[in-house]
Amino acid sequence: MVYEKLTIMQTALRQLFHWMPFLFGIGFIAPLIAQTMAYWDIPAPLGISRIAFGLMIGAPWGLYATLRGRWL
Amino acid sequence: MNEITKLQPGLEPGVGVSSGGGPAITLRQGDGLDAHTRRTLLQQERAIARKYSSNGKAMWPYTVITLGCFAMWLAFWPLAMLDIMPLWIGFPLSCIFAAGGYITSHEAMHSNIGRPGTPQRFWNEAVGEVATIILIFPFSMARMMHLHHHYYTNDPEKDPDYTDAAPGKYSAWYKTWLNRQPGVDGSIHHYKRVLERIGTPAAKKALRDTMLLQLFSMAFFFAMSWAGYAMEVALLWWLPRHIGLSYIRYWLSWAPHHPRTGTGRYDNTRVFRTWIGHWLSMGMQYHVVHHLYPEVPNHLTRSAYRELKPILEARGVDCSPLKD
Repeated sequence: MVYEKLTIMQTALRQLFHWMPFLFGIGFIAPLIAQTMAYWDIPAPLGISRIAFGLMIGAPWGLYATLRGRWL
Repeated sequence: MNEITKLQPGLEPGVGVSSGGGPAITLRQGDGLDAHTRRTLLQQERAIARKYSSNGKAMWPYTVITLGCFAMWLAFWPLAMLDIMPLWIGFPLSCIFAAGGYITSHEAMHSNIGRPGTPQRFWNEAVGEVATIILIFPFSMARMMHLHHHYYTNDPEKDPDYTDAAPGKYSAWYKTWLNRQPGVDGSIHHYKRVLERIGTPAAKKALRDTMLLQLFSMAFFFAMSWAGYAMEVALLWWLPRHIGLSYIRYWLSWAPHHPRTGTGRYDNTRVFRTWIGHWLSMGMQYHVVHHLYPEVPNHLTRSAYRELKPILEARGVDCSPLKD
């Protein structure tokens, strides 16, 4: 029972770290883009909010890093 | 004639077999030395190293600097968030703290700040735990991997730092970045794999510490960023960490071990000269002294090198890049 719980936890943590670049894109890169645009007073295109624009960049970029294993 | 050349008549300047004043069989440098000469040189080497070995009572500046810099870095957060301190001040200082922190942590890895059982031991461990937090690099992992690097220096399979190998300086800088990419087996990713392979309780603890520090830092990054402080996170932690890691990887791993071919006591590092000088290269020009005697603290390796130089040359170390 304890071993089973440990294995489930280990698997969950491995998955969490595997998807960390994607989470990083949403959790850090998206707000960083939005706040940098706000700092330089740059509006987001197409009338969307800056954070939506940040998410449009950060989430796919993080997904790309997760799948390809590199940010660039 | 100094003591070293007395031991090796064949090395006396202007005196050799051809002049008739040297031995019948010339003693060669490095591996060609006979057992008696090697033993005598080792005794002299150890006597010099003992003079420069760390003394916990004299290592307090490392503790003060580490804890002071860490306290300053913690203070940067509220100061930057409240617009009391501009980020252009906090950013370069955080980069210096990130890279410099490894040097003080490195002394703790070798117990140079306080040996086990001494009153200074607590501070040794405190410095180690705190100094590399900006790098998101826990002390337990750092110490274990660094000691493995000493045991197996330049072994392609067993040296945890072997992934820093690169043919030239530009590719070495590139590799410092490449090795940190999520799908590349380098840097901390490689360390994790090595620790899993070791599998001892200490290795498991190091893995757990790494996981916890990474999870904590990512949670902090995400929470702060979504709370409106992403630029503070970027300039006080995220970028300083990357700049610090690249700087350390290049100067502390690639530069003193390039081309990573030697695995012997006297050829697993190289003596080199760099235009950025002693302080900015973090004393790495004299890294040979550190690998021979890790108990000599970083700030004394230059003095120890100067005294050890004739012995090192006799042992076949190429000291020509550094004249002094």
